[in-house]
Amino acid sequence: MKKLLLILVALAFIAGFASAQEIAVIVKTGNSSFWQNVQTGCFDAQKELKAKTPKLSVTFLGPQSESNITEEINIVESAIDRGVKAIVLAPSDVTALVPAVKKAKDAGIPVVIIDSLLSGPASNYVSFLATDNDAAGRACAKELIARVKAATGSDTGNIAVMSYVAGVGSEIGRVGGFKDYIAKNSHLQIVTTQYSNADMPTALNQTTNVLASNPDLVGIFGANEPTAVGMGRAIAQAGLAGKIVAIGFDGNAALQNFVKDGTLQAIAVQSSYNMGYQGVKTAYDAAIAKKKVPAKVDTGFIIVTQDNIDTPAAKNVLY
Amino acid sequence: MSDTHAPRKDPQGHEPGASPGRSGVALDRFLTFGAVVLLFAVFSITAKNFFTMRNVLSLALQTSTTTLMGIGVTFTIITAGIDLSIGSVVALTGTVAVMAAIAGVPIWISWLIGLAVGGVCGLANGLLITRLKLPPFIATLGMMMVARGLALTITNANAWPAPEAFGSLGNDTIFRTGAQFPGISYPVLIMIAVAFLCHFILRKTRMGRYTYAIGSNEEAARLSGIRVGWVKIFNYIVCAVLAGLVGVILASRMVTSQPNSATGYELNAIAAAVIGGTSLMGGVGTVGGTVIGSFIIGILTVGLTMQGANYFMQQIVIGLVVIGAVAFDQLRNKA
Repeated sequence: MKKLLLILVALAFIAGFASAQEIAVIVKTGNSSFWQNVQTGCFDAQKELKAKTPKLSVTFLGPQSESNITEEINIVESAIDRGVKAIVLAPSDVTALVPAVKKAKDAGIPVVIIDSLLSGPASNYVSFLATDNDAAGRACAKELIARVKAATGSDTGNIAVMSYVAGVGSEIGRVGGFKDYIAKNSHLQIVTTQYSNADMPTALNQTTNVLASNPDLVGIFGANEPTAVGMGRAIAQAGLAGKIVAIGFDGNAALQNFVKDGTLQAIAVQSSYNMGYQGVKTAYDAAIAKKKVPAKVDTGFIIVTQDNIDTPAAKNVLY
Repeated sequence: MSDTHAPRKDPQGHEPGASPGRSGVALDRFLTFGAVVLLFAVFSITAKNFFTMRNVLSLALQTSTTTLMGIGVTFTIITAGIDLSIGSVVALTGTVAVMAAIAGVPIWISWLIGLAVGGVCGLANGLLITRLKLPPFIATLGMMMVARGLALTITNANAWPAPEAFGSLGNDTIFRTGAQFPGISYPVLIMIAVAFLCHFILRKTRMGRYTYAIGSNEEAARLSGIRVGWVKIFNYIVCAVLAGLVGVILASRMVTSQPNSATGYELNAIAAAVIGGTSLMGGVGTVGGTVIGSFIIGILTVGLTMQGANYFMQQIVIGLVVIGAVAFDQLRNKA
C-alpha cells in the first residue's frame, strides 16, 4: 500500500516534469565527487539555456552504485515513457544499455552518451562526449618519462603501475595507453601492475609492498582517484616523496595537496564538469534547437603540476 | 592464545561435534602455526626484501585491519550469528571521525566518537536480532546498506582531508631507533592488546562462556537461565566497536575520510575467522585462531605482491587457501 502511494507520488512528480522541456541526465551513480562535478556542469548549462527556453528543466538521475546496471536501464526506460526531450547518458555497461538507447531513438528522443563507450551502431545516439582515456594515459606516460630523464639523466629503470579495476572500459584505455607509450618511447621496465579495486587502503598497502620489494623503482603511476591517493600516502610514509617520480590521475583535494607538497609530480585531471556542461548543451542543440551536433567530442584533460595548479585553467577542472 | 579450538562441549554437556582429544588440539595448533611459519619461510626466500625488519613491521600494520575485524566477527560467529555490516561500519566510523575532526572537535575525542558510532551500529544490530527476531544475516545486511548510505551522505561522497594531527594514530610508531628499526606502529600495539583482551573475555569470563553456550545450543542456554538476548547484544557491540576502531585507524592512516572504502572487508574478516577454525555453525572459535587466520591471508597478500606475482593469481591462491583450510578442518574432525 505504502509502495503504491510512493509510486503515485513519483508519477505525479514525473507528470509535472514532462509538461516542461525535460533533458534527463542519467549517470552511473550520484555517489562520488566525480559525478557531483558532472552535475554542477549540467545545472550551469541549464541556467544558461533557460534564457532561451524558459520551460527547460534538467533532471539528474542515477542508480545507487556503479554496478547496478539494471536500475540504470529502468531509469532510462522511465525517462522514455514520460516523454523527455533528450537524454544524456553515462552508460555503466558497454552493452547492457544498448537496447534502452535504441528504444529512445525509436521514440524520437536523441541520446547523448558521456564518459563511457556504448557498443552497437553509432547511429543509435547523436553524440559521444568523453575524456580520451588513451590520450590521457599516454600524456601521463610522457610526463613520467620526461621527469625520470630530468632526475636521472636517462630513460632506463623500473616503474610500477597501480591500476584500479581490471578490464573496465576507462581502465583499458588509460592504463593500456600508458603502457603502450612507455614501451614505445622509453627503456623503462614495468615490473608490476597492481589492482586496488578503487579501494584506498588497498592501494596504500599494495604501494607500500611494491616500494619495499623494488628499492630501485624510479617511477610509479596511480591510475584513478582513490588509487592515486593511497599511492601518495604510501610514498610519503616510505619517505620517498620527491625521490621517486609519481604521477596520479583525477584531482580531488587530497591529490591537489600531494602535488603542492611534491609527493606527486603531476596529476591528469579529467574535465568532469565539461562532460555535464557540454552534454546538456549538445542534447539541447540536438533536441530543442534542432542543430547538427558533432558525433564525437573530447571533453579534455589537463596535466596539473606544481607550476600550473593555481592557474584558472587548472582551477576549472579541480574539485 | 593460540589454541584454534574452543572447548566443543558447552556448559550443559551437549556435544555438537566430535571433540578433538588433547593431542588433537596440540597437533592442530602446531599445524596452523606451522603453516604461518612455512609461508613466511617461502616468501623470505622467494621475495626480495620480504624478510627485513621494516617489512615485517609493515606486514603487521597491514594485517592489523583484518585481524581486528576478524576478532570482532569471531564473537558473533561463535553465537551462530554473522555480521556483514562491518565493512560499511568501518567506512561510516572513519568518515564520522574525520568530519568531527574537521569540524574542530579535539582529535582524540573525534576518535572516540568513531568508536561510539560503531557501538551504536552494533547495538542496533543486536536489538534487531534479539528484539525483532531478524536473522543476523538480514539484520546486518540491512545495516551494511544503511551505514554505507550514511557515510556517503555525510561526506557528500567526497574524500575529505583530515587535519594532519588526525594521522598520528595510524602513522606514528614507538621504540623507533632510526633506519635500522623503524618502530612499532600504534595499530599493531592496539591489535596485540585487543587480541589479549578478547581472548581473556572469551575464555576466562562468564560472558565468554555464555557466548559459547549460546552458539552450541541456544535453547539449552536459555533454559539454563542465560539471558541470551543481552549476551548477543554484547557480542554485536564488541564486533561493531572493533570495526569502529578499524575505521578510525584506516581513516588515520589515510588522513582522509573515505566513504567508498572497505567494501567487502567483512568477507576477509570472516575468511580469517574460518581459516582459524571458527565454525559458521556456532559454538567453536578462538581469538588465537582468527589471528593466525588473518596472518595467513596477510602474508599471502603481501608476499605474492612483493614476489611480483600476477595480481589475479593472488585471488586464486587466497580462495584456495580458504577452501583448503576448512576442508582440512572437516576431514580432521571426522577422523
